[in-house]
Amino acid sequence: MNGAACAPGISAVAYAFPAVSRSVQELARAGLLHSSPDTLESLGFGQVHVATSESPYELALEAARALLRDNDIAPDSVTLLIYGGLAGSAAFARADTAPTAPRAMERYRYPATRLQFDLGLANAMVIALDQLACTTLFAAVRVARAMCLTEGMARVLCVCSEFTAADGAREAIFNCVSDAACAVLVERDAPRNRLRGSAQITKGYYWDADALRDEIIASYFPTARHAVQCVLRDAGWRPEDVHWVIPHNVSLRSWQILLGLLGLPNARLWSRNIARDGHTLAGDNFINLRDAMLEGAIRPGERLLLFSYGYGAHWTALALEA
Amino acid sequence: MRPGVFTVFITGGTGLIGRAAIARLLRQHPDVRIAALVRSGERWRSLVTTLGPLAARVVPVRGDITCDGLALGRGAHHWLERHSRAVVHLAADTVFSRSRDAARAVNVDGTRHVLELASSWQGVERLVHVSTAFVAGGRDGFIAEQDNGTGAGFVNPYEWSKYEAERLVRDGPLPWIILRPSTVACDNVTGTVTQLNALHFALRLCYQGLAALLPGAEDAPMDVVTTHYVARAIGAVMLRDDLAGETLHLCAGSRSLALGELLDRTFHIWARDESWKRRGHIRPALTDLETWQLFTHTVDELGDPALRRVTHALSHFIPQLALPKWFDTSRADAALGFCAPTVASYWPRMVEKLAAVAWEQRCRIAA
Repeated sequence: MNGAACAPGISAVAYAFPAVSRSVQELARAGLLHSSPDTLESLGFGQVHVATSESPYELALEAARALLRDNDIAPDSVTLLIYGGLAGSAAFARADTAPTAPRAMERYRYPATRLQFDLGLANAMVIALDQLACTTLFAAVRVARAMCLTEGMARVLCVCSEFTAADGAREAIFNCVSDAACAVLVERDAPRNRLRGSAQITKGYYWDADALRDEIIASYFPTARHAVQCVLRDAGWRPEDVHWVIPHNVSLRSWQILLGLLGLPNARLWSRNIARDGHTLAGDNFINLRDAMLEGAIRPGERLLLFSYGYGAHWTALALEA
Repeated sequence: MRPGVFTVFITGGTGLIGRAAIARLLRQHPDVRIAALVRSGERWRSLVTTLGPLAARVVPVRGDITCDGLALGRGAHHWLERHSRAVVHLAADTVFSRSRDAARAVNVDGTRHVLELASSWQGVERLVHVSTAFVAGGRDGFIAEQDNGTGAGFVNPYEWSKYEAERLVRDGPLPWIILRPSTVACDNVTGTVTQLNALHFALRLCYQGLAALLPGAEDAPMDVVTTHYVARAIGAVMLRDDLAGETLHLCAGSRSLALGELLDRTFHIWARDESWKRRGHIRPALTDLETWQLFTHTVDELGDPALRRVTHALSHFIPQLALPKWFDTSRADAALGFCAPTVASYWPRMVEKLAAVAWEQRCRIAA
């Protein structure tokens, strides 16, 4: 990812959670977990955010509006909107309403274009990403960067909003799942969080996550290490150059194993949100990036490693210079 | 039987190395006759099939090393007492996941029973005890052949029991030769595998994409040998009078392959099969023992039954990879006049063959 005169980066992040949170103990009492709450707490989880009346679209809009408002971004200065998340009628369905069979024309009621309209992004072209699960925002950021470099886009707004499955189960392979939306602004000349490297490894062999569960678990760690090695190589960094690992909020145990594989100390992991937010699917790393910066944990110029995995199966990583 | 025939009493003669050793001894030494301890008629028939015409020089002796006096019949005992000139003690329980008691029953008590009996036979001139290089247990670094001590514990009860058995042999009244083979990878340099073991089990998991992590360093030596080499060594020392009191490493030693290179070569060979390559299975990540244990502990605690069985089975021997051992073979090489084949000379053929036959045999490992 070298050789560009401009330096695209992430200049702002905002997010929105639903109003209600539930502890893992409460989730267990409601029958929404497969594992015992004690086990999940031992893996680092404390509570998750649960949509009870909101729709994914409403949270996406809230997050994007917050980003524009809090950073004084004029809507018409955004040249591209990349939306990733629930599509079609699922994006507009509120958590407390029963899903209905979509009518013929409903499939064209897109959250991406409605978002452009509702946000007043008059000059933004719109792209939607799909089928990337928890790696959607990583892909959005990479597409944004590419558009900045190749088409001279100045500001790209990436928005993702994912709710957990309709059956309400809040656990995916020992990870507690939250509902959330996250908005990320990529700018062509960003003052902070410049993108120094990127990598994505996609293995279509694992497309059927149910059938290949054991193989996916087995391949997760070596492939994750490989993806991180690729992004470090792309950035020209060594593992020890990384100041902070900004995680996706899967179990702390799995992070300890991955850090062991990478030869990085656990102290480099910014893990505070695993307990208080759970796994928000695509938003984790960027929500964590914002919170770590607000908290003052990250100093300008520090080197950040973001890694995520998405079913389907994708291993992805970004190298940022804070 | 002809007078002057040199009768060798062998335990474990129906096992993988035992069969090869018997065949080797009979071919190499026309005056040798074998008395083979066998536990069942089925095992005996299987041995006869393997040996073909050579089986005419093998006398089956029904018995069990876990019993006092090997549970020999009175006639068999007297016959062996009268004829035995040497003993090769090969019988062992090599399953790494056995309990300490189970390993003791076969490997320690069994050795004691063999020693007690053989030392009561006046004509026995020597005992060849087939041990394992992994009596070195939890030690790492350079392992000398004359080194008999370990203060570093053991990875599994098998290692411990073989270590204890060696002590019995050394303290016993018979002149002894101790042979310490490394892990047997295949029959010979053609790479043919007759019997799958723990090594192949681990390889199969790699092939299936189920091996996530392995403890160990890229440059850790993977010391493996062939059955042919071990059997040849047993045949070579059997009639030697000058090796009493010697302990010999039957190991690849400096002819080992580094773990990282071995895995790279293995995956490279498998990747020639386009259908396998398309799956995108990645080489297991090598890591420190602590991280590997955290992973296995997590799977043990949280994983589904199938994955738990995998990591549980591996946990009985895989930690050895994190204890790199450079086995000295200088005494063995000098005494035998030949050395183990270079691992690189047969490993590629072996992994190719294993994949080609789709791992048809059941791995001999407790899950």
